[in-house]
Formats: sequence, structure tokens, C-alpha cells
Amino acid sequence: MYEDIRIAIEVASAIICFILLWFMAKPYSLTREGRYLGLPLGFGFLGISSVICAIATITGFFASQLAWLQLLPRTFAFLFLAVTYYFSKKPSRKSPLMWGLSISLLIFVLVTLVIAGILNPQFAAEGYLASSVYFRFCNLICLFYISIHTLNSHIKTLDSSTIVIPFAFILQGISQYSIIIFSVDRSLFAFWSAMVLRFASLAAFLYVSYKAFYTIDKRVVRNEDDAS
Amino acid sequence: MPRRDKFKIYGDLLSALYYQSSAEKIVLTQIQVKINVPFDRLKTYITEIKELGLIEDENSLKLTEKGIQYLRMYKKILDFMKRMGLEYR
Repeated sequence: MYEDIRIAIEVASAIICFILLWFMAKPYSLTREGRYLGLPLGFGFLGISSVICAIATITGFFASQLAWLQLLPRTFAFLFLAVTYYFSKKPSRKSPLMWGLSISLLIFVLVTLVIAGILNPQFAAEGYLASSVYFRFCNLICLFYISIHTLNSHIKTLDSSTIVIPFAFILQGISQYSIIIFSVDRSLFAFWSAMVLRFASLAAFLYVSYKAFYTIDKRVVRNEDDAS
Repeated sequence: MPRRDKFKIYGDLLSALYYQSSAEKIVLTQIQVKINVPFDRLKTYITEIKELGLIEDENSLKLTEKGIQYLRMYKKILDFMKRMGLEYR
């Protein structure tokens, strides 16, 4: 029963992440600025993580080495997002090089860890619980940085439309914190809270993307009317 | 020195041209000040957006339908970036 609910949440999360991937790819595809590549990469990896989680739950979560592997894309998703936010405020002439180096390093480390997990499944299965806490802690640091960054942006603009994203990242952070609590004391309340908060956060991202791309037309038309 | 990508420069230029379109005559120096580029480069950008079919010609500087669509997408991206808390400049 609980496993079915978890699979349903993971599948729904994966679908939302892949829709978000489509929205998040737009800034990069139009500007060709490498520093925005982290957005689609981040949400793409979050989607992959949810897919792996769903498959791992179907095949027996802790018996599967997939349980360990799902930690990697999630952590790297948050790392890609944090690096994107870091470089978004530094559009200098050197930043494309720095961004290129950062993303190359992240991809190299990710591929190395995935290969290590596949080649050494014994390590993968045994190390899951300990790894989980470290990975989630890393996620928390990334999410803390992104939340502060987006909150700062909101304070600068003081526009009600910019409050949803910091709120969404904070929900992701609380979700990761709840999973750490679950890893330590096996609290089912913490586990299900984490699942619900993560889903709510993704729904908030989807809401913001939809509002930006499908309701702005009215605003542009209004500006056009003002201009004519 | 912050750098701008072509999407941003063309977006700013089309936006400035669009809002000046109600004026009797578009003054290029005003556009230059508004989008903050040297005059010679402004002329280059105008030639480029003409070649892309975003303006009708280099004298009237009137936006084509393609130019208006470009400007709409530019505004959407600006709004999206602002909502995402990302700085786009």
C-alpha cells in the first residue's frame, strides 16, 4: 500500500521534473549562455533520480543498488542549480571559462561515482544509509545557498511574483532535512513529510514556469497598447 | 565589465525601437543611450537585426511580425528569470 503511494509520488515527480526540464531549457536555448545550462541539467537529474527511486521501490528499495545510485543524480541536480545561481550574478568575460571548468568537473565526478557504484555494488548496498546522510547534507548546503540567493533577489525586487521560488527551494530543503531525520530515527512521519514537501516544491516550480510563459502575453500586449 | 549576450542586446534594442515607434522620428542617439552601446556598434546591431528580418528596414526601424514575436519571447524570458531569482543582464 505505502509502496504504491511512493511509486505514484515518484512517477508524478518525474513527470513534473521532465516538464520543468522543457521550461528550464528555454533560457539556455535562446541566450546560448552556458551559465543557464545548469537549470535544465538540474531538473533533468531530479527527474532521473525520481525515476530511479520508482524503479528501486518496485524492485525492493534496500535490496537494490539503485537505492544508492538515486542519491547521485539528486545531489548533482542541486549542485548544478547552485552553480547556475552562483554564476548568474557574474556575467564577466571570464565566467564562461569558469562555468565550463565547473560543469566539466561536476560531470567528471558524477560519472566516476556512478561507475564506482556499478562496478562495486557491494559497497553501494552497504554504504547506502551512511552515504544518504552525507549526500542529503550536501543537498542541504546547496539548497541553503540557493534559498538565500533567491530570497535576496526577492528582497531587491519586492515583487510578489518572486516569492514562490525561494519558498519552493526552502520546501526542498525541509524535505532533505526530513529525510536525514528519517535516516537517523526511521520516523515514518519524517519520510512522508519529505515526500509531500518535495512534491509541493515541484508543483510550485511548475506554477511559476507556467505563469511566466503562458500569462505574460497579456502583459506584453498591454505594454504594446501603451506604446501605440 | 558585465557582458551581454546577443539575445539580450537584440531584445533591449527591439524594446527601445518598439517604444519609440509612436514618436515622429526615431532618434538613434536616444536608442544608443537607452541600450548603452557605442554608436558604431548600434549601427552594426541594426544591420544584424535587419538581416534577421526583425525590422522592416534600416530607415523606418519598424518591427516586423517576427520582431514582435522575438520581443514577446524576450519579455517572457526576462519575466521567467526574474521569477526564478536569476540575474539576467
